Amino acid sequence: MNLVGVIANPASGKDIRRLVAHGSVFDNDEKVSIVRRVLAGIDSTPVDRVLIMPDRFGIGLKATDGLNVATDVDILDMPVRFEAVDSEVATRHLVDLGAGCIVTLGGDGTNRLVAKHAGTTPILPISTGTNNAFPVMMEATTAGIAAGLVSVGITTGAVAQMPIIRCTGPGFEDVALVDAAVYTERFIGARAVWDPDRLREVVLTRLRPGSIGLSSIGSAIHGDDHPRGHGLFIDVHPDAPTTVRAPIAPGLILDVHVAGTKPLAPGDSIEATVAQPSVIAFDGEREHELPEESSVTMRFDADGPLVVDAGAAIAEAARHNWFHAD
Amino acid sequence: MDMDRNSLVEAYRRMRTIREFEDRLHKDFAGGEIPGFVHLYAGEEAVAVGLCSHLGDGDFITSTHRGHGHCIAKGVDTAGMMAEIYGKAPGSCNGKGGSMHIADVDKGMLGANGIVGGGPPLACGAALSAKKRGTDNVVICFFGDGASNQGTTLEGMNLAGVWKLPVVFVCENNGYAETTSYKYSVSGTDIAARARGFGMPSVAVDGLDFFAVAEAAGEAIARARRGEGPTFIEAQTYRYYGHFEGDSIAYRDREEEESFRSRDCLSRFRQTVTSQGLVEAADLDAIDGAVAAEIEQAVTDALSAPDPSLDSLTTDVYVDFPASQLWMFQDEPVRV
Repeated sequence: MNLVGVIANPASGKDIRRLVAHGSVFDNDEKVSIVRRVLAGIDSTPVDRVLIMPDRFGIGLKATDGLNVATDVDILDMPVRFEAVDSEVATRHLVDLGAGCIVTLGGDGTNRLVAKHAGTTPILPISTGTNNAFPVMMEATTAGIAAGLVSVGITTGAVAQMPIIRCTGPGFEDVALVDAAVYTERFIGARAVWDPDRLREVVLTRLRPGSIGLSSIGSAIHGDDHPRGHGLFIDVHPDAPTTVRAPIAPGLILDVHVAGTKPLAPGDSIEATVAQPSVIAFDGEREHELPEESSVTMRFDADGPLVVDAGAAIAEAARHNWFHAD
Repeated sequence: MDMDRNSLVEAYRRMRTIREFEDRLHKDFAGGEIPGFVHLYAGEEAVAVGLCSHLGDGDFITSTHRGHGHCIAKGVDTAGMMAEIYGKAPGSCNGKGGSMHIADVDKGMLGANGIVGGGPPLACGAALSAKKRGTDNVVICFFGDGASNQGTTLEGMNLAGVWKLPVVFVCENNGYAETTSYKYSVSGTDIAARARGFGMPSVAVDGLDFFAVAEAAGEAIARARRGEGPTFIEAQTYRYYGHFEGDSIAYRDREEEESFRSRDCLSRFRQTVTSQGLVEAADLDAIDGAVAAEIEQAVTDALSAPDPSLDSLTTDVYVDFPASQLWMFQDEPVRV
């Protein structure tokens, strides 16, 4: 039986960056609508079954209410805690059940949680978050079609492996998909990162001019002039001599003081020791506390999650005449 | 977000006081000593204290039927509250209000409220007053997911948006309007997104995390003080007890309750501040002991306090009316 998983994060697109920046609220009714369109797209492919992560808002339940599709669609049977870890638990269940693709609705943070456990299961990330350097703004219907095509093996060349940052610190091992940063804030609190004066060591997996978030600092310095397949280390400090202006959150374009940068080849690591109580932030969200004088290692690796290029998947299927109705 | 030791200690003391107060009422209500209904706030402490830790006595809050936590967070005297709940003369409202009508205007607490959705119009009035008087005072309007469906709430949000009133609307989404899951009772799935329709910024926070609430609250309150208008905060939280004491809680399962209890706001606060060396565990233990003694004394005093006297029956119901308006109470209507 062929299976596609859907993980829609009900918390994405609502954090404090609606107050301290100008982020838009991404409401869960729109996520319901997106999931319905994903299901419609999947239903046009030979996928047998779709399982949707349960959540406190009932996105999956509402998306399937009155939905007329031939594909067997259910809510994933799993213990629910109504917090971020649900996305991780759902991913593990879907991988164990042999899902051929996992469609995610969220921002960079949501996809980070899924990527931690996806292994070799491809992810198709639809953007519904705040900072969206990793997921893609795309039409959900075609995303659903692409997820189905990849899941059943109709297309095989539309999946690419993304880089990743693996971090080790006091009491934790974790990953980031786009950026990892030491941030001189004592508390995890409201999680989001938006004050450039609190930034210290920053590691990026990508420079993509036009993207938002901490990766925009790298783009502001180097544009797209960066060795292919490399990450970037940025040494940030309020007293550093070079100042660049970067959109570090929606509608928030601020000065960042940069002491220097260094390309990172796969396997290269940056070790940072914090002089004051700080946190490590992954993909724009404060994640772990770093006690004074503690150290954290951030390693750039090439073997991150497998990600579906929806356009490439549809193009490949078209080359095989898969869409011909006759 | 920076908080000094004194602020952290005070936040913990208030959260612990709410928990002790509510746990004690949970126990004593079963004994039949307490008149009327009580609706307990245990589990939601981080929301009230996270918001009110930014306020002074000149700022106002409006509350709900589940108002004990809001009162304590705003600094209302616990002995007076306990006496009020027991219906005794030394109570905050002279024993005539009970659990659902505790108020202390001197502390800026404009009253618990038995009417679901009763708070937002009051909040807008208080905020309009602050704005007209040219102060930088703000109003926090607490309400639940059930009240998010009330016309008064939506009208209040509209008015606050139109007049850019210094109100922070705080929806304490504990998942259930009385006994009905909000998945059923809230059309659409997203309370936070409703505020967008009124043109105000809206955020959702983990209501079980004091620091998450306090950080968002600080930004929203600062925005209101700057005259930039209302903000909406949806605090996703959970009540440990039933809608009211005596509720059999047949509408939710034990597994769900345990999941939320495992993220208890007091335990998380303690873990954060002790692991960072900001407050010693022994100091928090001392607060626990002092608060337990304070609540025990409040109950003892309430039990031994006198009932309101019969000759006070008609007082405290209305404010003193101006003599020029007393015609309203004359037997014969005055024709104009």
